Amino acid sequence: MRAMPKDLAGGEQGQQSRFPPAIRFDRVSKSFASAGGRAAVLALQDISFTVEPATFVALLGPSGCGKTTILRLADGLIRGDTGKVEVFGAPPKPGPNIGFVFQTFRLIPWASVQDNVEFALKGPLFSQAERRERANRHLELVGLAEFRHAYPGELSGGMKQRVALARALATEPDILLMDEPFASIDAQTRELMRIELMRIWTDRRPVVLFVTHSVDEAIILADRILLLSPRPGRTVKTIEVELERPRWAYDARAEPRYVELRSFLSERMRELVLSDPSSEFYGRDLAPPADR
Amino acid sequence: MIWVYRLGFLALLVVLWILAAQQFGRNVVPTPLATFEAAQRLIAEGRLLSALGASLTVYLSGYALAIVCAIPVGVVMGGFRILGKTLEIYVFALAATPRVAFIPLIIVIMGLGVDAKVFIIFLGALMPILINTYAGVLAVDDELVEMARSVGSSRQRIFISIVLPSAVPFVVAGMRLGATIGLINTVVAELYTAVSGLGGLLAIYGNTFRMAEYFVVVITLAMVGVVVTEVLRHFETRLARWRGAN
Repeated sequence: MRAMPKDLAGGEQGQQSRFPPAIRFDRVSKSFASAGGRAAVLALQDISFTVEPATFVALLGPSGCGKTTILRLADGLIRGDTGKVEVFGAPPKPGPNIGFVFQTFRLIPWASVQDNVEFALKGPLFSQAERRERANRHLELVGLAEFRHAYPGELSGGMKQRVALARALATEPDILLMDEPFASIDAQTRELMRIELMRIWTDRRPVVLFVTHSVDEAIILADRILLLSPRPGRTVKTIEVELERPRWAYDARAEPRYVELRSFLSERMRELVLSDPSSEFYGRDLAPPADR
Repeated sequence: MIWVYRLGFLALLVVLWILAAQQFGRNVVPTPLATFEAAQRLIAEGRLLSALGASLTVYLSGYALAIVCAIPVGVVMGGFRILGKTLEIYVFALAATPRVAFIPLIIVIMGLGVDAKVFIIFLGALMPILINTYAGVLAVDDELVEMARSVGSSRQRIFISIVLPSAVPFVVAGMRLGATIGLINTVVAELYTAVSGLGGLLAIYGNTFRMAEYFVVVITLAMVGVVVTEVLRHFETRLARWRGAN
């Protein structure tokens, strides 16, 4: 599985690959006006990476490293200041081929669960009947078929996020952008949601860009982890996660590779926070005792 | 359950009323019984109902006109930021000016008839609805707008399916404010222009010290206010059924 994209690429940068990568960031920088409105704050600096089709990528980093900005750039919601973002060889445009799952669910409160899912299907692409059918099918996929007439306010956090997931999946997009989707869900539900996501991903194989600040979440879900530094966001390291799939079928956390990756990434994450001048932990000595 | 408390409070008010009648004398504050008898008389003569009809006609005309004008203007001001920013200070200035100040001008231009009355009511009810609609459109949840953009919605569709529905609670709150101010302006208009309707009865009975009849008119006005705001409250809860669970 992993070898295939490299074969397609036909050697290191040598010739143009036959297929453009699913997502390509080429030295992308982005700054925002600060809250005071005076100075521009650099959110991303020279971000470059490519993602081949059917790959699950985790964007891992402490808060303030522009992970969400990367997703918004990849969806075409915003444009970079410099550099180039391409999705399947063209500038990205928000729409049915890119699904977006937000941390705060972003369900329409006055619309039923069914209407919320169908919201992503409006437009000339789908007939009324097809909208209905797809919404039903995807609500079944996330196990919420019997809640289709409920309003979001009547659902728990985990259920809301499953509705949001159904909405993002309903168009059967090639790319799924997920912004800390399980961060505001309780730990037990989060664990099950991860399995749910792995199950769906195994079946459909969209490209996933999954933003998280949880080392465990990144390792258990992703094929590849991009470790990002805060202020400005930069790629520090790219790590391939070579754990066998499906990972929910065995205790992946007990694998030596998992343990090794986990301690490495946790260590790097801690360093990144401690060396970030705007962090509340900046400069504190939180290294474990050496004689341990 | 709340109705039990409300009725209890009503009983307390009646007791206070009786005490006031004893304190100030019946010529100033009539007893509840005298007021009730006056109400029966006024209804039997048909004067109360015809005055109520006249008042409700101008009130509802002016109020409806205010709704029809204020909502589109508020929506347009909220939809086009530059237009909204340009006009808002003038809207706020007009909202802060006591509308009574315009009455002499309105009488000079429109006379003392129904037109002038409807316009005075319109002017009173317009501003709260307009300002609330404008605020409602501006208060849209940016996260929902971004979600709609991410599924590829056009600006037009975002406005219709996200911005306008989210402004509805604000609009209805504005309509409730407008209804109250409109009712106040109804009486004001009936006192200042050609004397008619409930405001007219108020003037006649007030000037001739027929306090029992005068009280009947005051209570009728209060009841109109309660009915109108309750209808709008009902409308509000129906529109916001999805809120119930939160």
